[in-house]
Amino acid sequence: MTAPADLCRRCSSPFEDGDLRCAVCGHAAPAAVRDDLPEVTVEVLRCEGCGAAVAYSVTARAPQCAFCGSIVRLEVPEDPLEQAGLILPFTVGRSRAEESFRQWQGGLGWFRPPDLRSASRLESLRALWWVGWVFDVHALVSWTADSDAGAARADWAPHAGQTELGLDGIVVSASRGLTARETSRLLPSYDLGSAREREPGDEAEAVVEQFELRRAAARRQVRSELERLVAERLRNGVIPGRRFRNLHTSVLARRLVTRRLAFPAWVIAYRYRGTLYRCVLSGQDAACLLGDAPISAARVLLAVLGAVLGILGLVGLLSAIAS
Amino acid sequence: MAEPAQQLEIACSSCGAAILVEPLLRTARCPYCDSPSVVNRPATIDRPDPLCAIGFTVDRRRATEAIRSWLRGKWLAPSGLRRAAAERVQGIYLPAYLYSAAVDIEYSTTVGEAYERTKVDLSSKPLRRVREIEYRHLAGRHASYVTDTVVTASRGLPNAELEAIEPFDLAALVRYTPALLSGWIAEEPSLTREDCLRLAREEVQQRAVGTIEGFLPGDTHRSTSCHTSLRDESTDLILLPVWVVALRNHPRKPLVRFVVNGQTGKVWGATPLSWPKLALIAAAIAGLTGLLVLVGRLL
Repeated sequence: MTAPADLCRRCSSPFEDGDLRCAVCGHAAPAAVRDDLPEVTVEVLRCEGCGAAVAYSVTARAPQCAFCGSIVRLEVPEDPLEQAGLILPFTVGRSRAEESFRQWQGGLGWFRPPDLRSASRLESLRALWWVGWVFDVHALVSWTADSDAGAARADWAPHAGQTELGLDGIVVSASRGLTARETSRLLPSYDLGSAREREPGDEAEAVVEQFELRRAAARRQVRSELERLVAERLRNGVIPGRRFRNLHTSVLARRLVTRRLAFPAWVIAYRYRGTLYRCVLSGQDAACLLGDAPISAARVLLAVLGAVLGILGLVGLLSAIAS
Repeated sequence: MAEPAQQLEIACSSCGAAILVEPLLRTARCPYCDSPSVVNRPATIDRPDPLCAIGFTVDRRRATEAIRSWLRGKWLAPSGLRRAAAERVQGIYLPAYLYSAAVDIEYSTTVGEAYERTKVDLSSKPLRRVREIEYRHLAGRHASYVTDTVVTASRGLPNAELEAIEPFDLAALVRYTPALLSGWIAEEPSLTREDCLRLAREEVQQRAVGTIEGFLPGDTHRSTSCHTSLRDESTDLILLPVWVVALRNHPRKPLVRFVVNGQTGKVWGATPLSWPKLALIAAAIAGLTGLLVLVGRLL
């Protein structure tokens, strides 16, 4: 078993519990130190139950005693379900959240129903920790692409290069409850520096969302997000030119550190004239609220009518002047 | 070649009988009481302790089935082969090195960008659009890790034959423990680490051109040259599950061998052609041709 603090000797990424090889570069994880054998030893593996000799069985996929059927446990690479290890604390309390929601309803503008604040009923106000991965990485990116820079007869000219990119605090949402648009709008409101270890009492305060991925699948997701981000950075200022095609990248990652974080949010549901609307408020910034609200059809109609009448009046005035 | 280990004489820990362990094997079975033993020799440079292993998931029945159905497609093979193959199949843990490194490829190439040009041709009325290629020089570097290169460490099974039954799913690697080998034949590495390192480097270098060709922009490319350098290499000894049948129909005839991937069931083998069958086919063709000629003459 490897301690979580062990770093890969080749790429300096930390090993996680139960890794046999580095997930980034394939280097072997340090094994528990085995004593060097001074001389040849011979083992006959005996069943702990009945003392008979044990042999590897294909059906059991493990060493098994042929007599009593008991199995010797093997150390297999672990692929546990992901769990949030760190938590960002709530700084916006329940009453502050409700107040902020009412304020938001009041400040939505003229096109909303005039009775939105008085006629809507708060259905639920739930505290939730949504989960995501936060990664830091130092990447050496090799790239090639066609771009319009330096093009001669053809529309495109080939370019190639290598760029060092340091990416810190990149968040990949793993939330099922919140949409990608919601999580990306919430993210700037969080202070990642305030993260603390998860404690047993946290579940009482709010629901902690579950990651629905195992570690290997999570690593693939982080990897694809890293590649998407790298391509975005390359397009914005690294590759010469304004138009690109055939972008190829190869990312050599070093010190890829991934943390699993829980982000606080208030999920608000309210009902207005029989329809349910949802809002999400950041648990660390009462001003960061996004959500849906009804639009008043009567007021929109009124505005359109007003505009039409105004134009007709103007046309009438102009024609009167002309005649 | 790795320096030869000594043949060992060990006492069976169940019945006390003397067992001889071949120098290149890690396991033995007592002929008197059938107890399986696993031998742990002190690690040396060329015979390190295995790091990981993949356990067998294909059993004897599935392995023989795989060989049989593979042979069914080779109807020019001698008929006796099928029967013999089923009897002699043996499960062996093959020593192999798992190689990984940081690879830096320096490349230089010519990339072609396509464009359309209006061709002015006075003889034909409408102007013709023709596709032309503009060639531009491009040079750069490509850095990546190679993680899953596996090369044989046994003189018994050449690397080409191992490649023929690859890939192994390396996600199924488990930490080596002697219990995994108990009751099976497990081989010690018989190639030196240096030889295996050379094999692995060759494999990585051969793949470099393909990597670069897939990496280039443009519509076409030509005269690509690569220079590969490898850093931070690591080689770890692993044990791979392989079913092997070696047959010799006749002392003077070459060896026939089948290898089955003990994890996926993929088969490889060099089947000899059956001379009687070939002669029969040749005779049939000659006879048919003669008959046609004869019929032609008569008409």
